[in-house]
Amino acid sequence: MISVEHQGPDAPSQSTPPRERGSVISRGTRVYLRTFTPADLDHLSAWVDDPFLERMVGSEFLQSYKHVWDKSPAFFEAVLTDPTQIVLVIEAHRGWTKPVGVVRLFNIHLLEGYAFLETIITDVRAMKRGFGVEAGKLISYYGVDVLGLRRIEAKVYEYNVLSMNSLRRNGFRQEGILRQAGFDGERYWDLVIFGILKEEIEAQRQKDKVYLPLDPPEGNGREPS
Amino acid sequence: MSAVDAGMHEGTATPAADRTTTGPERLRLAGPLTAVTAPALRAQIRQAVADGRTRQVIDLRAVTALDAAGIAALLEARRVLEAQPSGTLALRANDVVCRALKDTGTITAFALWTGPGM
Repeated sequence: MISVEHQGPDAPSQSTPPRERGSVISRGTRVYLRTFTPADLDHLSAWVDDPFLERMVGSEFLQSYKHVWDKSPAFFEAVLTDPTQIVLVIEAHRGWTKPVGVVRLFNIHLLEGYAFLETIITDVRAMKRGFGVEAGKLISYYGVDVLGLRRIEAKVYEYNVLSMNSLRRNGFRQEGILRQAGFDGERYWDLVIFGILKEEIEAQRQKDKVYLPLDPPEGNGREPS
Repeated sequence: MSAVDAGMHEGTATPAADRTTTGPERLRLAGPLTAVTAPALRAQIRQAVADGRTRQVIDLRAVTALDAAGIAALLEARRVLEAQPSGTLALRANDVVCRALKDTGTITAFALWTGPGM
């Protein structure tokens, strides 16, 4: 923990033990985002072995935990002390006993004001409920309000229509395509680039009161290039 | 200021004991400066500006972890303080802090206090 103390001979120094359940950073109507804790490594261990997540997301975060850190507990400390990313765990409000995913901002460039977004809904039962949309929205607000970001970028495999539609619901625009930049073990796939600017995030925030996550998707896959 | 929600604990020294008549005030931080604790630092700086205490040295030598939210809070502190007439911010850093500032390319954004005392 951190203590802030004024200079002075009688200023005490205090500390409290870390919170096992993490601290809530942002709350939405369906999900809330909390800090990553050592106990979440057990969840990560299961998620990194899920071939569906590997194919749909191809997360460097999960891959790093499995292949670079070999599922070591030291991964938690590495995440905590990495100043280029913010990792938050997604918890659903009602009826969910385990986290439903993880969302992070990575490659954060504080001076230049941009970062990359990754949202992973890990429980199949939690998909198509608007959890990923809201988690992405909450961390985008956090990026603008707390980190001072002015631009957020995301990459999606061309076959991951669900993620593309989630980004569009949050106001992200398709900005380009990296041709055959992704490899799933069998063949190469295009990566679709999405981006959103601070002003567009603010515009999305104005729409929050009419946010209807169970509406049908606006798009159907990637737009023509 | 209540800093309990952010996991921070505030000293009880009176403001008069915090500063000399001419020198900057020191704000000493210990433990992780992360997404959980950074809001309390922001609040401390806002209060300092509201009180007219705009010359600050933030002592980070006891900080054990610094993430993007913590660095963003330091950047905001610099911006807010230096926007004030004669406002200044200097940091006293340890290896953990220096590494984080270097990794994020923000180390040149701060004046680092290397002088004696404080």
